Amino acid sequence: MPYIWPLKRINSVPVVLSAMLCLGGIVASPASAADRDTSVNLKSEASVALEVDRLIDSVLKKAHVEPAPLTNDEDFLRRISFDLAGKPPTPNQITLFGLDPTPNKRNQSIDKLVGSKAYAENWAGYWRDVIYSRATDDRSRRFQTSLNDWLTEKLNANAGWDEITKELLTATGDVRENGATALMMAHMGDAAEIASETSRIFMGIQIQCANCHDHPTDVWKRQDFHTLAAFFPRVRVRPKRNETPPSFEVVSLNFQPRQNNVFDAERFFRLADRNRDDKITKAEADQNERLKNVFGRILSVADTDKDGALTLKELKDAPRPQNRDRGRTEYYMPDLNDPSSEGTLIQPEFFVNDAAPRSGLRDVERRETLSEYIISKNNEWFAKAYVNRIWTEMLGEGFYAPVDDIGPLRSAQYEDVLNLLAAAFAENNYDMAWLFRTIARTRAYQREIRPRDTSGSTPAFASAIPTRLRSDQIFNSLMTVSGIDSNALQSRLGERGQGAYGIRRDPKMLFSATFGFDPSTPQEDITGDIPQSLFMMNSDQIRNLTQASYGTPLSRILRENAINQDALDEVYLLTLSRYPSKSEREICEKYITDVGSRNEAFEDLLWSLINSAEFITKR
Amino acid sequence: MTISVHENIRTGRNGFSRRRFLHTVSASAMAAGTLSFRDVMSLKAEELRKENRSMILLWMAGGPSQFETFDPKPDHPNGANTKVISTSVPGIQIAEAWEDIAKVMGDITVLRSLTNKEGNHRRASYQMHTGYVPSGSVKHPSLASNIAKEIGSEELDLPSVVTIGRGQEAGAGFLGVDYEPFVVGNPGGLPDNVAVRTENRRYSRRMGLLDKLEQDFAKRGGEIAVDNHRRIYQKSSKMVLSSEVKAFDLNEESSSLRKEYGDNQFGKGCLLARRLVEQGVSFVEVRSNGWDTHADNFEAIPRLASQVGPATAALISDLKQRGMLENTLVVWMGEFGRTPRVNGRGGRDHYPRVFNGLMAGGGVKGGQVIGASTKDGVSVDDEPITVADVFQSVCHSLNVDPESENISPLGRPMKIVDGGKVIPGLFS
Repeated sequence: MPYIWPLKRINSVPVVLSAMLCLGGIVASPASAADRDTSVNLKSEASVALEVDRLIDSVLKKAHVEPAPLTNDEDFLRRISFDLAGKPPTPNQITLFGLDPTPNKRNQSIDKLVGSKAYAENWAGYWRDVIYSRATDDRSRRFQTSLNDWLTEKLNANAGWDEITKELLTATGDVRENGATALMMAHMGDAAEIASETSRIFMGIQIQCANCHDHPTDVWKRQDFHTLAAFFPRVRVRPKRNETPPSFEVVSLNFQPRQNNVFDAERFFRLADRNRDDKITKAEADQNERLKNVFGRILSVADTDKDGALTLKELKDAPRPQNRDRGRTEYYMPDLNDPSSEGTLIQPEFFVNDAAPRSGLRDVERRETLSEYIISKNNEWFAKAYVNRIWTEMLGEGFYAPVDDIGPLRSAQYEDVLNLLAAAFAENNYDMAWLFRTIARTRAYQREIRPRDTSGSTPAFASAIPTRLRSDQIFNSLMTVSGIDSNALQSRLGERGQGAYGIRRDPKMLFSATFGFDPSTPQEDITGDIPQSLFMMNSDQIRNLTQASYGTPLSRILRENAINQDALDEVYLLTLSRYPSKSEREICEKYITDVGSRNEAFEDLLWSLINSAEFITKR
Repeated sequence: MTISVHENIRTGRNGFSRRRFLHTVSASAMAAGTLSFRDVMSLKAEELRKENRSMILLWMAGGPSQFETFDPKPDHPNGANTKVISTSVPGIQIAEAWEDIAKVMGDITVLRSLTNKEGNHRRASYQMHTGYVPSGSVKHPSLASNIAKEIGSEELDLPSVVTIGRGQEAGAGFLGVDYEPFVVGNPGGLPDNVAVRTENRRYSRRMGLLDKLEQDFAKRGGEIAVDNHRRIYQKSSKMVLSSEVKAFDLNEESSSLRKEYGDNQFGKGCLLARRLVEQGVSFVEVRSNGWDTHADNFEAIPRLASQVGPATAALISDLKQRGMLENTLVVWMGEFGRTPRVNGRGGRDHYPRVFNGLMAGGGVKGGQVIGASTKDGVSVDDEPITVADVFQSVCHSLNVDPESENISPLGRPMKIVDGGKVIPGLFS
């Protein structure tokens, strides 16, 4: 092992955190020196990228595998454009990039894309999907754009992943105004759900499997899950019904509300019984703020003589509602054998290193403490989870799979590469832009795709893997074909873009109802489905997009390129960001001749390319 | 021809799977040249077509309260004064608001002792759809996809698994795109984009061009993507060009029948389910959302019942009238039940320890209750029924071998159902 992260459960020796982790720069434990060149400058993208390739190449060499060569300029530009900016390059960009003689042009284009506005939007969308794909409360989904906007802003400002994590974990306020409340909102403040997602998203550890039983294949115990949940029992998500449009807010419940068991039935009855006839009727209940909404419900359980009104005796004898969870400010681990019992009071504790905050912390203080534990440079899983995710997303295969199931008992491939990147990521204060630039620079990332190796014996990263594009990326590709910028589309929609709850109806989000998937899903499980193909084949949108009648992108191409070959190049550049191959050219030319009508043939061509597997695949 | 050969043949919806047949029989009879594929085919065709088995799952997403559905407790405070009504079967009482179900009780078995351990929506729903608890490393195929794989017809132009209504717990998992459910969000007319917008000749020409243009990318390294894509496009094409898509159009039904099912999402969904099953679809799930009644349980359930009750009853009697009930298993359930105690918001919380469900058709004996919860509804009193038991029973009804194994991507053989037994007394 290159270096050992302190983990008390694996190794019960008291951990010496600072000694083992070298915060000043290069990690120099004796174990690492053998594997990793200590001259690596962890601050430098070029230096780290070089070392990543050296480590990978040495494994490939040992396996006698010749890595695929670097991919050509067309494919490279399309790949980084999708990965960094979430959209394909325009035909113009492809041509210019091909003609550019600068030797350093790949790095230049990487640097340019990482700082772009599209980069912020792309990765904001990615994390929006990570969080909301697992939302346990459907009402929360309508606030997705708030998270999207907030993340875009953060990414534009190049906020660190630690800062973003901390804000997501500690947010309060109106969910429409503060997008950082998303994680709390997505689970309606449920402590157990928030805990499992916090662990999964920020540390890649599926601690929720320990919810009901000791983790079968990991070191975590049932108690560990619940001590994590104990950081969140004071989170509440409340509807703001009186606002127009209605919203929710994340608030802290720091004190037990006044004991509701000392409900003063007599006083309550006197107040509500306005005409003093010793009965509360519907009409009287309607005038009472506390009673008007619940009267029917109380009647259904308390009205023993079924006269539609409540007497004092009926009110007193009514089965006492249980209000256990709502007023609780501490976390109780449920008793599985008796779910209706109170359960065991659990104090917050961070399962990774058993750090525990002092008692009596208020809600936000608790959550702040947890976020500090998580983003601490002593917590290896924070950096590793992020690096594993981004690497997987960019290269199609990660160090750990599935992407969000890592942990001490999982085994990683190329663990030394992961450790290096995670250490460097931490060293650069969790600078996401830095990591993107570094990964994109590696030869491992820039390799060609290759025909599938059926033997299954080739180590990973010898060639690039084609992966399915996310919904936003496909949407942006269609926008590129149409020549319409999606922001312009938004403003063109104007008033019609305004959906329910005052949330703007993002056409991207509508598209994702059909094409969206949880970005944590393993690539091999993302196969597409019939509604998606039906949209591409038969929808009005695609039909309009592929027509050659006046005003469409195709009509422009046909008008500007009298020669079919040129027009063909343009159509290919627009859809697949490359020129057609020789055999494709032949197929197309024959097709144009056979069909007879130039317009009709090109319509079919454009339709076919948009409907191709390649159109929705990163290559 | 020997009887043993016949027994080896696995029946499918409209015949049987040639592949499986060859697989199981080839070693013996085929190799010996004693019978040809066609011989068996012609002999058995009619008989096998009659099998035509399928399942309709009525899924109550959120977890329906057993107390306000089919296991009321009028004599205990936990029953919260929910009234009971008698049914067409003497001795069986169910909660009020389910009058239509009461009328068809003669065709239904009520299961009152379902029991499980998962109290989280996601996990429990996954388990109730796949038979397995979620695991990070394996994506289990749903029972629906397994059934489609085992008995789905290869000649069918429609997808063999259809889900009606939003939300989905589990798809085909590692069984792949062929058994992925087709989701109909809005039952009634043709699903979105099913109508072909160009004339068929041009459409076929385009598909031919697409196929040719995919070859280069497939050769370069995109073969998995291209292969999946091609299979989905073939399925989509087959469907849009087929006359079978008319099954989606409910306007072909009489207005009185449509009214009987109910002019609402769930009612239309049930009617569509019957039409799809009639067309040869193996598994249809119709979803009803809103059963997660943490608050206002007592207002929500009558409202839900006003749609689910009439539609379920109409489905059962319609199937029966058409002689389809014997081969169509109808299952009504959700991911768990709800707590015996009513909470402060007039709701009930998640409770997997004991809950209820309904089964009808597919050989299920009608007019009976199996299992019981205790008087206070806190636990199982008699004949606990596990998720595996339910799955075993479904397989029994559909003539699917529960021991049939799929190989997971990690090379592990996984049975369709792991453990459990057919619920005793369920079938006549």
